[in-house]
Amino acid sequence: MSAHKSAAEATIEREMRVMYGDAPKTLSDQPLGEMCWQMLGDSFLLRGEGHHYFHYRKGEGITVDRGPNADLSEESLWLDGSVYAAVASINGLLPIHASAVAHNGLVFAFTGPAGAGKSTLVAALGKLGLPMFCDDTLVLDLSDPDRIFCLPGHKRLKLRPDAVRLVGTTPLEAVSKSVDKVYASPSGGDVSHPLPLGELVFLETGVQPVVEPIIGAERFVRTEDNHQNAWLFTGARRLDPPAQFAHRARLAQQIRMARFCRPMDHARFQEGVALAAQYVRNGAQQ
Amino acid sequence: MTALTKLTNRFTEADIDSEIVIMRLDNGEFFSLSGTSAATWRLIDGSRNRDNVLAALTDQFEGAGREIDRDLDAFLRELRETGLLAE
Repeated sequence: MSAHKSAAEATIEREMRVMYGDAPKTLSDQPLGEMCWQMLGDSFLLRGEGHHYFHYRKGEGITVDRGPNADLSEESLWLDGSVYAAVASINGLLPIHASAVAHNGLVFAFTGPAGAGKSTLVAALGKLGLPMFCDDTLVLDLSDPDRIFCLPGHKRLKLRPDAVRLVGTTPLEAVSKSVDKVYASPSGGDVSHPLPLGELVFLETGVQPVVEPIIGAERFVRTEDNHQNAWLFTGARRLDPPAQFAHRARLAQQIRMARFCRPMDHARFQEGVALAAQYVRNGAQQ
Repeated sequence: MTALTKLTNRFTEADIDSEIVIMRLDNGEFFSLSGTSAATWRLIDGSRNRDNVLAALTDQFEGAGREIDRDLDAFLRELRETGLLAE
């Protein structure tokens, strides 16, 4: 384990410092609606519920403005979610929508749309002894042209009540009033230092549990990401189409990918988890 | 017979495994090439004409048969129509 933080970790820690006070209410000539964000140059502004604003400017950290009707129970979720992703993006890091475990010095990340089972799978892999690397957001450090590193997760593991029952873990406190999820402790522990990305696995449904490598141009296609995190990165980096192409090509060339298909049938859940654990422990496609 | 020439100012490309992804710069349209089409694309280097490319492909894909001749012409036509290859 490294005793020193990587440059990327130090940047995020410095840039994510939070102050409380007045924040701008818009970054343009248009008012900002509730639950919306704006990005302008190296600045980011998010408005939560009511007059709850989160303003970030590179080098200056985050200012939280708790105006009328701000829902303070949601504040940490905003900070760990969209604000963190925006700060990472503005500082050249790529946040992707994925949960991950670590094994043998590599990160194995699982991605898919909301409800695909990312957190549930990582929680279940923890029961089999694989430590959690991150939940929901995986931040990639692209500064080494030859290898992609991952920053350890900054979010606690969150599970829906049915996932808690499915995994057989102990529920902790509720996430918030509006989110039907509870926190849970990863049974396999977690990892607190950066590691190289071993593989990105796409969660899909299928009749039988199976893991198949994704090869060739399909990897490029898979780099198309319609999650908000990808929009934040594209907005922050202001990539023109050729630069976007080069960015996606690099990801496709350097990230090994696979699809993990399994039936969305609770009775066969453990069968799929066992297959995923075996795949990770075998070093995936090595 | 003149050498086949890519219009390199009209696209950007990347190799991913043995396949090639190409993006047209004018409209952002993507293409992916694999197998003989990827091999053909790599052989078009500004020095080979159509017959040189065909000879190289025939060497690479032994047993491909007579259709490789027809497929090459169809592919070259497609590349010209797409604006990636000089007339």
